[in-house]
Amino acid sequence: MSGSGSTTAAPTTKATVQDTKDTSEPAVPQKPAAALEEDDEFEDFPVEDWTQDAAGPPAGTTHLWEESWDDDDTSEDFAKQLKEELAKVNRK
Amino acid sequence: MAYSIFDDFRRAVQNEDGYLLASTITPRAPEHDGGRLYDFYRTTNHYSVQTDFRYAIVYNNTAGLSKTEGNHWLEVYVVYWKAIGQLRVAEELTNQGKDKEAEWNKVYDAWRDVANALIKGYSSSAFPAWTIPCLYVAGKYLRAFAIKSDAAAAKFRKNTTFNAGLQDDIAGAMSTNEKLEDAARQINRTFSLCISDRAPLEESRKWGVYYTTNLLFKTYFKLNAIGLSKNILRSLQATKTDMPPLEAFPKSHQVTFKYYVGVILFLEEDYVQAEENLTEAWQLCHQDAQKNRELILTYLVPCHLLTTHTLPTFELLAPYPRLQELFAPLGQCIKRGDLAGFDAALAAGEDEFVKRRIYLTLERGRDIALRNLFRKVFVAGGFEDPREGDDRGQKIRKTRVPIAEFGAALMIGMGHTQERMEQEEVECLIANMIYKNLMKGYISRTHNMLVLNKKGAFPGTGI
Repeated sequence: MSGSGSTTAAPTTKATVQDTKDTSEPAVPQKPAAALEEDDEFEDFPVEDWTQDAAGPPAGTTHLWEESWDDDDTSEDFAKQLKEELAKVNRK
Repeated sequence: MAYSIFDDFRRAVQNEDGYLLASTITPRAPEHDGGRLYDFYRTTNHYSVQTDFRYAIVYNNTAGLSKTEGNHWLEVYVVYWKAIGQLRVAEELTNQGKDKEAEWNKVYDAWRDVANALIKGYSSSAFPAWTIPCLYVAGKYLRAFAIKSDAAAAKFRKNTTFNAGLQDDIAGAMSTNEKLEDAARQINRTFSLCISDRAPLEESRKWGVYYTTNLLFKTYFKLNAIGLSKNILRSLQATKTDMPPLEAFPKSHQVTFKYYVGVILFLEEDYVQAEENLTEAWQLCHQDAQKNRELILTYLVPCHLLTTHTLPTFELLAPYPRLQELFAPLGQCIKRGDLAGFDAALAAGEDEFVKRRIYLTLERGRDIALRNLFRKVFVAGGFEDPREGDDRGQKIRKTRVPIAEFGAALMIGMGHTQERMEQEEVECLIANMIYKNLMKGYISRTHNMLVLNKKGAFPGTGI
């Protein structure tokens, strides 16, 4: 999306600023930020079209989602904690 | 070298190569020919440009253009030449460190003339549909120059104002996006040109519909005017029967479209539809497009959490360290029923989440964390003693759980940072869980107990 021609001359300019926070330079590649890149804008793809085998998650990635609870967490531990907590109440 | 652009022009016309044609009016020199724009600009001057180009296009007409079409292209190249002139001036000033003097607004205005000349060529049916990539270039750089222009203006305003802070923002807010708003209007015209074309499909501008739509989405998002995207979606819906299906368009158009539609739906809290679109975008997205894949996941993960109550695996997030940083802590706290941890993780990532507009969605993940905490209470309660008549080995969990135990669990889950809750408060939380179908049972006031369903006390969690 750059408006600057890629002449042999110099590097592009420093960020121009919008609003109060440092936002993405509009027409220049973004410097990697500590957090997520400011820009939530989809980039242009390097090619216009591709076949399905060039698409999707990397080959072999099968396990994408997992259950949100954990049975591995030893419930004995929790049961103990629970007992202790309840005991505190009864003491009061 | 002198007229290489017109050589390309002729070749493009002869071969009906839309992308080659578009490259001749792209205001960015190709990597292998860094001085191209400069060379092009130097081939003529303000006095001769009209005549010189007329010779190159209309008279030297080996490509066999009609006079009308030739004249339209002439106008396009003349204004393009002028735009290059403005661009060069701005770039040189910038390269010299004099970016305050660079007049990007003039670059924008000059480029708008190029867009206009193209639009005229299409609306008068002079340009055939295969040349449509030219409209893509027009739209793309309308955005690019508009953004640059607005940014420069904002910086200028900032440097000349004596008021710091809030007041500047409020005062500036009205006109901070002047050029980009204009760009939106121009791109909208190109969108209309595409969608309203009545020619048969093989010769139709309809094939440019999704590219221009995507440009508009990007623009509305940047303008924070996402609602305007709905108008586009309505127009698309209205012409559905006349249009080729989305699947017939290049994948880059499809993926970009699905991403934006997914996010638009997400922001409207239509999570089911959002998920559908984002998942499809994910499946179709080119595997090397790292940033885009990351963007898709940024919305797909919270969405998925709400629709299916599942979390991303380590495997899923592995290629995206930034997403891991953001989502993994939350995920772990949800799993453990660690409410205090969840709140802390949410607060820690608040800036990022808000920026991406996923904060409110993620906040709802707390329900899952709470559900998991209560589930642990149920599991910790163990099993009923086997009674006569029960199937041998068929253990049933104790379904009558004192409310007090949930209260105690809350103390644990909150890391003992809170006052003990009143019984009513605990009951309220439980009631909410039941209402949201995360738990199944009823509260027995007389016994101060929660009576859980024997089957499916915690739907979807195996118990």
